[in-house]
Amino acid sequence: MTSSEVIFTDVSKFYGEVLGVNKVTLHIPSGITSLVGPNGSGKTTLMNLMTGLIRPGRGSISVLGISPSEPEKLMRVTGYATQFDSSPRWATGMEFVTTGLTLYGYSQSDARDRAWQALDQVGLTEAAERKVAGYSKGMRQRVRLAQAIAHDPKVLVLDEPLNGLDPLVRADTISLFRRYAAEGRHVILSSHVLQEVDLISDQVILISNGMIVAEGEIRGVRDEISEHPSQFIIRCRDASRIASLLFCEDHVTEIKMNDDRLGLLVLTRNREEFSRALTRIALAGHTIDSVIPSDESVDALYEYLIGGGRS
Amino acid sequence: MAIYKRGYERYQGPLTSHWTRVLVLPRFAWRRLFQQRLVLILMIASLIWPLLCGLFIYLSNRLDLLQSLPGDIKNMLAINGKFFLIFMNVQSVFSVLLAALAGPGLIAPDLANNALPLYFSRPLTRVDYVAARMAALVGLLSLVTWLPGVLLFWMQSGMAGWGWLTHNWYLGTGVFFGFAAWILVVSLVALASSAYVKWRIVAGGLVLGFFFILTGVAEMLNAILRVNWGSLLNPTRSMYIIWSAMLGQELPPGPGVWECVSVLAVLIVLLGMILERKLRAVEVIS
Repeated sequence: MTSSEVIFTDVSKFYGEVLGVNKVTLHIPSGITSLVGPNGSGKTTLMNLMTGLIRPGRGSISVLGISPSEPEKLMRVTGYATQFDSSPRWATGMEFVTTGLTLYGYSQSDARDRAWQALDQVGLTEAAERKVAGYSKGMRQRVRLAQAIAHDPKVLVLDEPLNGLDPLVRADTISLFRRYAAEGRHVILSSHVLQEVDLISDQVILISNGMIVAEGEIRGVRDEISEHPSQFIIRCRDASRIASLLFCEDHVTEIKMNDDRLGLLVLTRNREEFSRALTRIALAGHTIDSVIPSDESVDALYEYLIGGGRS
Repeated sequence: MAIYKRGYERYQGPLTSHWTRVLVLPRFAWRRLFQQRLVLILMIASLIWPLLCGLFIYLSNRLDLLQSLPGDIKNMLAINGKFFLIFMNVQSVFSVLLAALAGPGLIAPDLANNALPLYFSRPLTRVDYVAARMAALVGLLSLVTWLPGVLLFWMQSGMAGWGWLTHNWYLGTGVFFGFAAWILVVSLVALASSAYVKWRIVAGGLVLGFFFILTGVAEMLNAILRVNWGSLLNPTRSMYIIWSAMLGQELPPGPGVWECVSVLAVLIVLLGMILERKLRAVEVIS
């Protein structure tokens, strides 16, 4: 068993008769992993399972080689920010983060130093001594993130961490995640903002009705969806000529030409063949400015694998 | 897949002990409790009776007038089991009021704000959490129950001499263990109410209702059915009977000591079950 991964083996969790997750098998490497799925699909259950807050009814979980049956060890390597706005209103941001650290076993002075660093990382030092009650929604989101990162966890689990953040803070927060990932840590987050998931994720886990629909790098997952042709946008000078050449290829199922006649949307069932065909066309002297895959995104994967009713 | 450099190293420094961590919660709770004016006022009010008892002990040992009173009156004013039983009875009322005021704020807000995952995603078990919340109440109630009680006992021992102490040592243990049992019951009732109802005010009302309504129900049962076992439904009465036995006093008519102990033990188990059921990191509404 690899000790640098978060591993779910045939994990099921039912809350009485309510399905949480069913027969989930996952290997989550370090880096940024996004959990994507509609409301009630089991994202939060997965997060609660990997942080040891609930135990699976069936199967086993290992977080960097640590089982949730060893909560004392597990909770030292994990940091969790739930989706709930549960920070105590009577406390200052500093008190909130410091108290959390003393519960981990840090001395009061160590806790204050670390709390300050954590608040600094989320850009809240100026408001550190203000009561949480006076914080805006975005600030409360950030103080929750601060309490999750303050003890320097190796696995950061964040439920909807980007909600309520303004664009500037959102960008800072994303760069914080990237920094964590670059240090070899796990950042596992759920988000409804698919464009952002696309932008920041090294791998995605698509979940629906408690079942894992797909997992892996976005490109890899897209490659395996054979029933939906891949879409490419080609920018070129001689669009109609290139379109006619591409139509001769068996794997091309549809071509739409842009109104400006300088671009094409091509649907193909075989990406490799498509790539070879484009090379042939270019070598024949046709100018191709750019080729961009248009459905290699979480948005498209979501649409293909989970479908409508997106939350 | 990105290539990551493994530059991350965890904190390897010293950590505080398990119980030091658990006691972080009551420390904060006490600070918050003593910031509440009502708690402070009730606290001060509940210390008036112990002060009066202390004054009475002083006078009864110092004033020659009291020593020279006739036998019957002198016996009535003696510092004995009856004196401590009355003391405990009065203080138990204050302890219920304090628990009703302070107890609901300990768990209900955490449940209402979904804050339990915050605690349980740290090295803190549910048992630790309950122990920490209970420690906050035990600390508060101790200030008005066994602490002044034991102080009064030692005051009397100091003033009356070694002879009194050797004859009445059981009063000291009775006060301590009697109040300890009472604090356990009251704290569990307060915590269970706080866990059962998410609104603080309602939870406070539930604590008061638990003790005062059950007293009424027990009396009604006794009167309607012309029995005396109805008193078993009244935890205050059951505790009074246990205290009477501990302080060597004549038992009031009604159920015996072991029946009362059994009923309170069942009550403690039931309250523990409520806490076990309610205090979960994840609430599932099916």
